Amino acid sequence: MKVGKRMTGRFQARFFVGAALLFAACDTTTNEPLDMMPTPDMAAVDPGGPTSCQGPAFTENVGACTPGANDYRPRVNMSMNDTWAACITDDNMIHFLSGMTPSSAARTAAFDSMGARLWKNPKPLTADDFLNARNDYSITNGLGSRVARRQDVHFTELPNGNKLGCTDPAIAPSYPERCYGPIVLKPIVDDAFAQGLVGNQPRLQAARMEAALLWFFYLSTLSEIWTSSFDNINDVDSSLAYYNAAQSRATPQGLGKYIQALGPETYDRGFDATLATRCWRDLDKVLPAANTTLYNQALAQNDKALLRGMALILRDRFGQLSCSTGVQQQANLEFVKLMGGFMDRAVRAIDATKADALKVQYTAASAAQVDVAKSQQLLDSLFPCP
Amino acid sequence: MFAMFPRNPRRQRRALEVGLGRSYRGAVRWLGPGVVALGLGMEPAQAQFSTRIVGSGPRSDLPEERAVSTVTQSEIEQRLVRSAPDALRYEAGVFIQQSAHGQASAFLRGLTGQQTLLLFDGIRLNNSTYRQGPNQYFFTLDSQSIASISVLRGGGSTRGGSDALGGIISAYAIEPLLPERGLRASAQGQARFTTADSEKGGRLQVSVGYGSTKGWALGFVGGVGGREVGQLESGGPVLNPTPDLPIGPLPYVPRYAPDMRTQLGTGFKELTADGRLVLRLSPRSKLTLAGYLYRQYDAPRTDQCPPPTAPPDTCLTYEQQFRHMAYLAWDGQLGAAAKEVRVALSFQSQHERRRFDDPSVVARVMGIDDVSTLGFTASAATRVFRPHERLSLRLHYGADSYLDWVQSTEDITYTDVKITSAFRRGQYLSGSRYLAGGVFADGEVGIGARVLLRSGARLSWADAQVPADPESGSQAVAQTWKPVTGHVGLEVRAAEFLRLLLNVDNSYRAPNLNDLTARQQTGPGFQFENALLLPERAWTFEAGARVRSQFLRAELWLFETLLQDAVLKVAKPTEDCPLGSNACRGAWSRFKLENAPSLSEMRGVELMLKANLPLYFSARATLAYAWGEGPRVGNVTQEATGVTLQERVPLSRIPPLNGTGELAWDHPIGLRAGLVVRWATLQDRLAIADYSDGRIPKYGTPGFAILDLRLGYSFREHVSLSAVIENLLDAPYRYHGSSINGPARGLSLVLKVM
Repeated sequence: MKVGKRMTGRFQARFFVGAALLFAACDTTTNEPLDMMPTPDMAAVDPGGPTSCQGPAFTENVGACTPGANDYRPRVNMSMNDTWAACITDDNMIHFLSGMTPSSAARTAAFDSMGARLWKNPKPLTADDFLNARNDYSITNGLGSRVARRQDVHFTELPNGNKLGCTDPAIAPSYPERCYGPIVLKPIVDDAFAQGLVGNQPRLQAARMEAALLWFFYLSTLSEIWTSSFDNINDVDSSLAYYNAAQSRATPQGLGKYIQALGPETYDRGFDATLATRCWRDLDKVLPAANTTLYNQALAQNDKALLRGMALILRDRFGQLSCSTGVQQQANLEFVKLMGGFMDRAVRAIDATKADALKVQYTAASAAQVDVAKSQQLLDSLFPCP
Repeated sequence: MFAMFPRNPRRQRRALEVGLGRSYRGAVRWLGPGVVALGLGMEPAQAQFSTRIVGSGPRSDLPEERAVSTVTQSEIEQRLVRSAPDALRYEAGVFIQQSAHGQASAFLRGLTGQQTLLLFDGIRLNNSTYRQGPNQYFFTLDSQSIASISVLRGGGSTRGGSDALGGIISAYAIEPLLPERGLRASAQGQARFTTADSEKGGRLQVSVGYGSTKGWALGFVGGVGGREVGQLESGGPVLNPTPDLPIGPLPYVPRYAPDMRTQLGTGFKELTADGRLVLRLSPRSKLTLAGYLYRQYDAPRTDQCPPPTAPPDTCLTYEQQFRHMAYLAWDGQLGAAAKEVRVALSFQSQHERRRFDDPSVVARVMGIDDVSTLGFTASAATRVFRPHERLSLRLHYGADSYLDWVQSTEDITYTDVKITSAFRRGQYLSGSRYLAGGVFADGEVGIGARVLLRSGARLSWADAQVPADPESGSQAVAQTWKPVTGHVGLEVRAAEFLRLLLNVDNSYRAPNLNDLTARQQTGPGFQFENALLLPERAWTFEAGARVRSQFLRAELWLFETLLQDAVLKVAKPTEDCPLGSNACRGAWSRFKLENAPSLSEMRGVELMLKANLPLYFSARATLAYAWGEGPRVGNVTQEATGVTLQERVPLSRIPPLNGTGELAWDHPIGLRAGLVVRWATLQDRLAIADYSDGRIPKYGTPGFAILDLRLGYSFREHVSLSAVIENLLDAPYRYHGSSINGPARGLSLVLKVM
């Protein structure tokens, strides 16, 4: 369908007006006035207060867990005890394939900045907080741009080799599971911003964003491994950046920081997995990737550790239902509702019965109806080891 | 350019010998009693001569001893060009790249954008916001208001000033009627249609002139035009030359409609108007007051509409791309030491309004940049002095200066809630000023009848004053440069028909506001400022042979260009992004302009042949090859691009071996026809930045050969119908570095009534 079949009336008008302006000076358009909507009385709906509390005590203990047979273990004798051939990350250090910090790290930084403005902000949330957070989110090629294209690599690729087709709104709705970013996560975030900007349950909107974006980082850590296999080999660096902002093992940001705070060994196992990814690309430098065995091993190791990490986050938020009150409790409830839904695929793949039982908890209508202890037990049994 | 490149004395002498009548007939053409129209198809020498006698504007007066070619108005009309840059496709050594359907940038010896100089009627178009890499600004000259375009390949800073590293493109406006006596007037209308992009447009033009018996004359020519151009259909997708890529055979850019031929992110609207009033005070003195208006609307940048891998409704659109110019000039003489004087005062405004629709975040980013430029040029040439019978001397000299003011803003609007948030700064820093100019002297010494020596020098100045903005991490800039440049040349008339030419030129480009302050999304990635850049210099070494005979014109040029302190895009980590530039941190690739630590080099060959054949046939062919290489800079590992990079790497977007061939038949009864071939070979020598540039297929741009058929008929010079059936074989093709594929097989039609 071609445009411009005929001169539009508007253009005709410009044409003739322009002729009359033969020597007129340039009408340099001035900046548009700020079209700010009336600022709602946010304090009336969000009094502020602590954004987290200590639920039932928990200390990670995975001493009984044993690594998978094909796991990469750079922390143990420089990987000499595992099945992986010697590679660049055997020194247990980060080695960016591109030679520099990937831009994905900036997206993780944007997430942390949004968190400081919204879900970790103890002050009453204001419209400006939401606007500034949205500016963080909406940077060109920033976090929002990637949410809108993120795929869940657990599901089958789009047909006809259309690997990046999830960006197309005409295609993505037909593949809602694979096109999880544009179909599930993006509407949540967009709506949360819109609602938050007009003062509609701001704390709850912040929690919705937090849950959706944490799940985005989980998906992204995996999907960058996938894209590194065929599109941009450097995406292994991005995988790490989505996990911990491409920081050293000891000082993670973003999702990695969440996981480290709740389960240090789980976090370290996740970090091991990101090094496995880099190791794979050190041993398999070609594009497209040739060594599917290592690719699958790296992907599986990442997925297992990350799922355990996400389960810890959900577990913790279940716990906070019992120590929070008011709007913060509503926010926590919204968080577990969303995160529980995101994890349902993985949970159901392990144990459908437990998945149903867990669903009863995270879909509860109120915090009072949630059996926190049972929820946490279910998660512990589903994801015991990283 | 009359002001900066005064006439060649030998041409003038020859023209004076020819006489007033012939040149006047060359300048205007009688169509009937009381009606005249502007002359077409003038040879450069005639055009120059007529300029002097009847007071029309300058034509094709770039230094003749250099690698210069000229496109005349008749050639522009016969080729049915889509734009001013498009008119240069058939010039040897000129390669036209298009980042969008409504944008085009000419590469001269491997350089483009801010590394080439654009002139219009001798007035500098380059301002301090011209960016590294291709830009759209030559597209903002209305090809319908142009009488000729001359191209100088190779450095030209001595007279041209900053930016003339790769060469100079100099356009000249159509001139009004200036009859010797009485009132003359003409009018013409033109309509244009094309099928490949559904273009519909036209232009109305009037010219009125009055010649007084007292010797003065007054003339005016003015016109208005407009066109609406639809999406461009190609002959199909151009495929990645590397087979079996997992991303598939299609490059990221452009995206196609379901027919896989129509290219998304193309089409635009355009409005033009111009007026030129010339008062001839005497046969050798005139005043010119001229104004030119160009307005382009809704021109998407194809490689960002959508960007690679982005949702298809993501789009960067130049909502408004305006360029307005007005100038007042006096041409005359003030004695033997100032025979050809030109003084011009000009004002230009450049306005850009960019809209980036980003459905990923339900937002629209709007950026507005305005540049106002006040310019002054003055130049003169002495008469030819002959201190000895075998010795002749002549000197050209002049001065020029241009002052830019820049305003720049950017904001984001969330379209779901209609809230707008202003960014701290725009692409540039508002309040920035940039002064550039210089003085030059350029002499030539004739020794006997066969040898000419030429040499010149220029002292330039450039001063950038930029306010700081700590909140956005933008440094203040207060930089001044005073480079000295020059050239030497030798011309030997080996035979009556053969001239041999040797030239060495040193040209420069001072860092401009774009280099020093801009933050912008470019084709390869996000580019941020470097306030500490040094001027880059080009040493051009060239040797040429020029054959002129009744039936054959031929030129062969060999060149070597050494770029010293060349400004290169250097890949940078996010840690190097300026404080406050989150867009930089979030970008897929980040680049900073830096001076190269060692020489960059380009070398090549350019060939042009033109033959007059029997039975009203003529033939023309061009061929050009350039090879460019520079140091590998930046922290990029060899694995990063999936290919092995050496310590020295190709320069970005160097054109491949390319050429044209034209066979034309032009019968006196008014019929004309021509068969044209345009071709280029594969270009797979890529710079580091090219690998992340969506405009370049992975990994290289395939070669092509395209056939066009031209047909035309002129009826008593009252009506002219011209047609081009382009891309006869309907082949998919792309000029290296372009976002768009060339048009599909289609018809371009122009009807002109005078």
